Amino acid sequence: MSFFNLQPDEWQALLLTLRVAAAALAVSLPLAILVAYVLARYRFPGHGVVNALVHLPLVLPPVVTGYVLLLTFGRKGPVGAFLDDVFGISFAFNWTGAALAAGVMAFPLIVRPIRLSFEAVDPKLEEAAKSLGAHRLVSFLTVTLPLALPGILGGAILGFAKAMGEFGATITFVSNIPGETRTLALALYTATQTPSGDLAAFRLTLIAAFVAFAALIASELLARRLKIRLGGDIA
Amino acid sequence: MICRQLIVLSVLAALLPSSAAASSLTVFAAASTREAMERIGAAFEEETGTPVVFSFAGTGTLARQVEAGAPADLFVSADADWMDYAVEEDAVLPESVRLIASNALVLIGPADGSPLELKAAEIAALLDGERLAIADPETVPAGRYGRASLEKLGLWQEVSGQLAPMENVRVALASVARGDTPLGLVYRTDAAIEPGVAVLAELPQDSHPEIEYLAALTGTPPTQQAQTFLAYLTGPQAQEILQSLGFVTDKVE
Repeated sequence: MSFFNLQPDEWQALLLTLRVAAAALAVSLPLAILVAYVLARYRFPGHGVVNALVHLPLVLPPVVTGYVLLLTFGRKGPVGAFLDDVFGISFAFNWTGAALAAGVMAFPLIVRPIRLSFEAVDPKLEEAAKSLGAHRLVSFLTVTLPLALPGILGGAILGFAKAMGEFGATITFVSNIPGETRTLALALYTATQTPSGDLAAFRLTLIAAFVAFAALIASELLARRLKIRLGGDIA
Repeated sequence: MICRQLIVLSVLAALLPSSAAASSLTVFAAASTREAMERIGAAFEEETGTPVVFSFAGTGTLARQVEAGAPADLFVSADADWMDYAVEEDAVLPESVRLIASNALVLIGPADGSPLELKAAEIAALLDGERLAIADPETVPAGRYGRASLEKLGLWQEVSGQLAPMENVRVALASVARGDTPLGLVYRTDAAIEPGVAVLAELPQDSHPEIEYLAALTGTPPTQQAQTFLAYLTGPQAQEILQSLGFVTDKVE
């Protein structure tokens, strides 16, 4: 077998990683936009607490986040048991659990740039839209959101990258099941835990680096197109 | 005499906080030996005055760290493969490698679990679609022994698709104790220290390769204290502690 052909378990880990990161982003991005907007536009009691909560996964060691997820969403955890009983949804030892861990870990990184770009949007533009008769939601969707797109894109890229590389919370929460929760990062760890795993670890490192590289170039191109379009709109 | 040593030591420690570490021993030991090693370390310190600092993790992690030049005086491996690796990589002194204990494997369940017969149907009924917590059978010694045993018993096919492979054997133990998994495969010594689990079945000793805990010196040249501790590990006090915690010590010379 050629060095450059991916082996089945490598494909499995790569596709699983992409699936986990995509699912994590799909769920956390809308929520992150909402939270970022609220934090940027409204002052309310507990503002600081919400802000701190959002940033918690960034500050806590990933193992702690994973452990808290395990105690909360595990089979015997309060939320985990409820979801399992009522909806039949289980995160324990499941790829969706890996996505949950990745989403939680990535959340602060998604919120931050989005919040900054919301804060940079002049509230007068929203007021102008409203004074012209636009509903609040319409003015948000047609004025604020498009102007904040660079920040949203930035947050999404950061979040996706973080989700792809997440390790500590994932292995603590959903363990290391081949094909189910063994993402590239966990596969790499597994390889380093094998006496003869150096080559396998090296190959996985190359795969991870290649994917990261491709994703960054793609996002750069996307950001450039967006800039042109936004620039055109405003002018 | 001891009093004077203490005074000298504490003055030294106060003057040069970082030099205190030099007079202690650092031992990298497999996660499954934690309780035994901590007790042996305490007994050793009492006897010789040399404090022993431990770093516990999966054997593989430790072997890689020792190979990379981690400042350990001794390496205690939970299996022979990783010790062979450390010897090959010149991370430990080959002539210093010695057996300090062996162990047995058990299947565990919740504290109120009832005994289990080692039959595929019984195990499947107990799992009921859930997972068997085990140290990663690809990488962690406890998992590799477990896999060998289950293969020999003709149960591997039944459970291999229903495993929850864990970083080390203690994580598998905690998973069963917490109730996240209904069944787990761990060392007998692990089951003994966790009141939240019960032994449901013992895996026969002849169903897996001998579980060997090996200790070796890492430093070149090794310190006198490290050599003393290595000898202490196979001495009567340490062996008694190991035995009292369920380790098998009859093959240790």
